[in-house]
Amino acid sequence: MLFKTEGERILIKSVSDMDMIIGMQNVGIRYGQGAEILSDINMALKRGSFHFLTGKSGAGKTSLLSMMYLSQKASRGIVKIFGRNVTYTDRDSLALLRRKIGVVFQDFRLLDHMSAFDNVALPLRVCGMDEREVRKRVTELLQWVELDKKIKEPASTLSGGEKQRVAIARAVINRPEILLADEPTGNVDSDIAYKLMKLFVELNKLGTTVVIATHSEKLITDFPFPRLHLQNRGLKIYRPIIEDNTVKGGIHE
Amino acid sequence: MSKDIISSRKQEVPLQDDSSNVFLQVMVCIAVFLFGVTLAGTLSVNAMIKTWNDSILGALTVQIMPVVENNKEAMTAEVLRQQSKAVEFLNEWPGVEKATPLSDKQLNRLLQPWLGDGVDVSDLPAPRLIDVKVKKGMHINFSKLAESLVKEIPLASVDDHKIWLDKLIKFADSLRLLAMVVLILVVAVTSGAIFYCTQTSLGLHHHVIEILHLMGAKDTYVAQQYARKACFLGFMGGIYGLILVIPTIFVISGLASQIEGGIVSETTLSMMDWLIIFSLPLFSCFISMITAYYTVKHTLIKFM
Ligand SMILES: Nc1ncnc2c1ncn2[C@@H]1O[C@H](COP(=O)(O)OP(=O)(O)OP(=O)(O)O)[C@@H](O)[C@H]1O
Ligand SMILES: [Mg+2]
Repeated sequence: MLFKTEGERILIKSVSDMDMIIGMQNVGIRYGQGAEILSDINMALKRGSFHFLTGKSGAGKTSLLSMMYLSQKASRGIVKIFGRNVTYTDRDSLALLRRKIGVVFQDFRLLDHMSAFDNVALPLRVCGMDEREVRKRVTELLQWVELDKKIKEPASTLSGGEKQRVAIARAVINRPEILLADEPTGNVDSDIAYKLMKLFVELNKLGTTVVIATHSEKLITDFPFPRLHLQNRGLKIYRPIIEDNTVKGGIHE
Repeated sequence: MSKDIISSRKQEVPLQDDSSNVFLQVMVCIAVFLFGVTLAGTLSVNAMIKTWNDSILGALTVQIMPVVENNKEAMTAEVLRQQSKAVEFLNEWPGVEKATPLSDKQLNRLLQPWLGDGVDVSDLPAPRLIDVKVKKGMHINFSKLAESLVKEIPLASVDDHKIWLDKLIKFADSLRLLAMVVLILVVAVTSGAIFYCTQTSLGLHHHVIEILHLMGAKDTYVAQQYARKACFLGFMGGIYGLILVIPTIFVISGLASQIEGGIVSETTLSMMDWLIIFSLPLFSCFISMITAYYTVKHTLIKFM
């Protein structure tokens, strides 16, 4: 425990308010009247950073992400996104913040009755983008994720991996400032998984802050990014060490 | 504002599958039907009252009935005395512009077609008449006037045709009030139905709406989709209602004109009235749209 608080102190202090794009202070979350799933979470993610989010099944990865993409409110503590305390942000401003956040949901959350195209177009249409521009961008991106043949298919008829690619395309179509992905490569073969990870890295190089929740040890060792680890309702951060040009897991910072 | 409510085209919330759509159209159809029939009734009653006010009720005649008595001199004197008393009385009555007794000459002229030349009214037991002009735009309570007048001048009588009309106008007035209440109720019940159907639908499509929110949609974006759908349903329901209203109006006015030629044949609707009735679908469309829009805005506040 002592070690953990030490880690948090460093984590909070090392990022100035200007650089911080996602911040949490003493955040706890619980569902209904149950016990807290996560307690005393402190973190400050820098603009343009790339993190993995790990932890056992049921550790609370999805719960933590859902506070970041403004779907859940923390039961206690302060959550700051883009420097704004979300508790004191009105509904319309929250909507505007969400437009700058791309999310790949663990369960995809596609609109089943709509086509792959319409699903990917959604974030653009919601901002009222011109339909010609929408068509151009969506078609291009669907080609890139190799779904150009399924463009008109309703989302409900797509395979798991196809749905996942639609979900990813939808998350990145609006060039978000924050990209949150919950198990984004769980249903695709390793070739496509690699290609998608490359996409996330590319976006990160262009300035997008990325957090990816994953169970895949392979992904973590292949891409040397720091790792947020959930354990015992708390959060620890690990930084990778690189030996002989290969990543060896990570050590506690 | 209404342009703002229906702009942007894509319909992500699958409202076309809602089972309440048929119910709402039937509801609006019935509402427009009730509204239209009541409105047509009110408008034609309005037109009737206007005609009566203008032509019939602008003037009034008071008669002083002669008493049949042996002493003709005394009788004539009494009638004339009561006549001038009545004129005085009427001139003081609020709303009366001028009461003038008809002279013998005028009476002679009135009676001439029946009695021929050379007859002097003063010799006959014919009633004396007083012509009463009513001030423009004033409503006179004729039954009250008649009552007070007879109390003062026992020989006087007010044309009972007019008293009857006066009562009819009062009846029409309360009918109009009743119609207003019906119209307000119809609108309220319809809006209520739209309110509850919209709320139910929001619950039903909770999942889709949450996704829209997570993609950065404002409440307005969702509300627009509901408003567009409600606009369509309200309009279609209104059209069906109108299709029922028009033949009903013709049937009713057809029946009415058979009753009593004199009065009820005035009930034809003017161009303006028809225009109002034909615009009912637009009206129902507007009410539905506004109700749905604000129901969504109001309900979504409870979502995160
Ligand atoms: N809506 C909810 N209502 C009640 N409990 C919930 C809800 N969502 C999650 N939980 C509980 O919170 C805990 C954490 O769930 P969460 O989905 O955040 O875990 P996770 O780390 O994403 O797991 P996984 O790796 O399996 O996706 C679980 O014990 C789960 O039962
Ligand atoms: Mg999860």
